[in-house]
Amino acid sequence: MAPLQKRALYALLIGLVLAIALLVVFISQGDVTIFDKDQGFRLIVYGLWIGVPVIYLILINLTLRKPTQIDERDRLIIEKAPKTQLLAVLLSLAAWIIVLTEVYWDRGQMPLIFLTLIFISTLIVSTLAQSLGILIGYWRANRYG
Amino acid sequence: MANARINNRIRRLRFDHDEMTQEELASRVGCTRQTIIALEQGKYVPSIELAFKIAKAFGVTLEEVFQYEE
Repeated sequence: MAPLQKRALYALLIGLVLAIALLVVFISQGDVTIFDKDQGFRLIVYGLWIGVPVIYLILINLTLRKPTQIDERDRLIIEKAPKTQLLAVLLSLAAWIIVLTEVYWDRGQMPLIFLTLIFISTLIVSTLAQSLGILIGYWRANRYG
Repeated sequence: MANARINNRIRRLRFDHDEMTQEELASRVGCTRQTIIALEQGKYVPSIELAFKIAKAFGVTLEEVFQYEE
């Protein structure tokens, strides 16, 4: 495994664990509006969602700064990763729109907290998809050249 | 565009140079060992710069390492 590939895998796995922990925290509360009311809950959520990009920055961006860890082939793979990122972000936004429309259609309004949640989820999906895009790039390069 | 292929003799040249390891060649030309593996398997075509560095590492011309086939 190339150094960048290894780090992308670690970033994806740790990011997934944090993202799942975030989901579990929300599901365990049963109501998203608790985000507005409980400061302790907000701090847990902030810690978890900031953790995903921080892990990515530590594992991937620091690798990019070391010339011995990365070469021209790795750079070509990184350049293609945003395709996966864009697709994942668009799909997650589409999922939000469909779910929120179906759930809140009859009420004609929805809690404002969802704007924050959409932003948080987009940032997480975007970061995870960047790592996934790098892994897909290596898989394709090893398989098809 | 017609199907073209760039072959290389990197594996052969490594063995001719005291069985130079992939790691050693990678360190000499400034790339990762995975890129040397991909090159030897014909799954990656290097940039001109890397191609020249590889030829220089073996002390041969570019054409002695890489061959263009149409």
